[in-house]
Amino acid sequence: RAQIDYMDGDWEEVGRLLLPPPGQNAIPTPVSSMTFDSTQELLWVGNEFGRVSGFYGTELTRYTSFKAGEGPVRQILFHEKGVISLCSRSVHMAMRRGPPLWHINHDEMKDLRCMSYTSKGTSEILVAGLQDYMFTVDVDKGAITKQIPTNDHYTIMKRSRYICAATKTGSVNILDSITFNLVKTWNAHASLINDMDAQHDFIVTCGYSLRQQQSYMLDPLVNVFDLKNMSSMSPIPFPAGAAYVRMHPRMSTTSIVVSQLGQMHIVDLMNVNTSNVRQANVLTYLSMVEIAPSGEAIVLADAECNIHLWGSPSRIRFAELSNPVEFADPEETQSQMDWNVDTPLNGIGMPYYREQLLSAWPSHMVFEVGAPPPKVDPQMMSSLKVTEWGGYGRNTRGLKRNQVENTRTAEKTSASLQAPKFLSEKARESANDTSSERRIS
Amino acid sequence: SLHASDTLYSELSREVENGRLARLLMKLGTINERPEHDGDPNWSEIGERYVLKLFRDYVFHQVNAEGRPVMDMGHMISCLNKLDAGSQEKIMLTSRDEQNVFVVTYNEVKKQVNAAWADLQKPSRR
Repeated sequence: RAQIDYMDGDWEEVGRLLLPPPGQNAIPTPVSSMTFDSTQELLWVGNEFGRVSGFYGTELTRYTSFKAGEGPVRQILFHEKGVISLCSRSVHMAMRRGPPLWHINHDEMKDLRCMSYTSKGTSEILVAGLQDYMFTVDVDKGAITKQIPTNDHYTIMKRSRYICAATKTGSVNILDSITFNLVKTWNAHASLINDMDAQHDFIVTCGYSLRQQQSYMLDPLVNVFDLKNMSSMSPIPFPAGAAYVRMHPRMSTTSIVVSQLGQMHIVDLMNVNTSNVRQANVLTYLSMVEIAPSGEAIVLADAECNIHLWGSPSRIRFAELSNPVEFADPEETQSQMDWNVDTPLNGIGMPYYREQLLSAWPSHMVFEVGAPPPKVDPQMMSSLKVTEWGGYGRNTRGLKRNQVENTRTAEKTSASLQAPKFLSEKARESANDTSSERRIS
Repeated sequence: SLHASDTLYSELSREVENGRLARLLMKLGTINERPEHDGDPNWSEIGERYVLKLFRDYVFHQVNAEGRPVMDMGHMISCLNKLDAGSQEKIMLTSRDEQNVFVVTYNEVKKQVNAAWADLQKPSRR
């Protein structure tokens, strides 16, 4: 059976990455969110400073990196055209290659935490958080389409046949993915939900309860909800304390449960008493766990800013169907040229082109040349402090920095010496008095 | 006299590219680092115009392994030519703090130059 083969034998840690620090001389900071790309062999990781970075393949070599907003990156979603990243006060979409596509701010975006696609495929997302409003965003236009008041504040969202939204009080709201109306509330854990996944017909959750002496303890089980029958199922026992849970993307009843110290169990929801156990080699607490869309890779983030990549060395891959990752083209090596004064600049040829060149200068932009230089106010000159390299002082001209002055008219009126003119010239001059203005327009 | 006109033509063909490069440089010069852009989100790290700053650094601020400036005219002209033509070739642009890494085509950079240039020509900005 599939779930017996799965993670059998050769699963191990195949790669480890220390999240690059937020500056050249800074110390590393923990991962704030991470997600496998749905269509390329990339793992995307958000840091505490609003930066999202992609890492390529099982070597996790650095790909692109861009700023998505301020504060921690809360969640990352994928679209055919790019990456959607959520920060507390903004939603950002960028191409996988890095350049931004759109960026949305709104006064009522105060503490966003989660987002989900809606019933409209990948053309609309719902964003929510610890705040009184949710928003729908048109992904193609990059614009807010609706502002929806909500009584509940949400921390995690996953979409299956409904939008499943974890509240901060331990319950899960099951929302209709067209109207966003509340279909049902499921009280999953007594105090709060630490992790949640939803797939096909199931919701699985890990959470905390308040025990004696007022300390929060991870529940020693994963709670399971059946969306087809709208009822809870028997929980998955996990004595070590269930911290993180993911449904296997291709095996619809298989789940992976992980403790804070890296104990991993592969469990079939239909047969919770048999499980396959692994231990990740982590020295501190895990802060996050994610599974690849192929089901052939898992990442675990720890509190020391490490990312552990797990899988079978022979089969590991991220996406179900991978498109090639777009890297920079190799720069062609140019033959060394001797740049003396006689070397023509056309020694380097133009690439083939069929559109208007960028160097094209608009024909309406015509300027007169040869105007006399602006006069320098002698009073200003005398106020300058003089040094070896020149004088300096405040701008007292009453003009903007680099403001253009029309020196031509000033010159004309004050000209005391003029060549005498023929009568005919004078007549022509008065007729064409405005000729220069006309030429400029 | 035929020989003379041949010489003229060959001289002309050597120098006819210069005007094109000069106009391109003037466009880049007018749009980059204007004080009006201070505080404009378009030119910030999250904005569309940000690649123009990174492109300027890519073309003109090359350094060698020791961090010394490299003034390779061949690199500059070749980049400018590809920008002028809007080549589909992809290049990697990196910010000074190396926190941002983009892979963009010359064509995408060209679109941003055109957009920034059009912004400057709008009659009533701000």
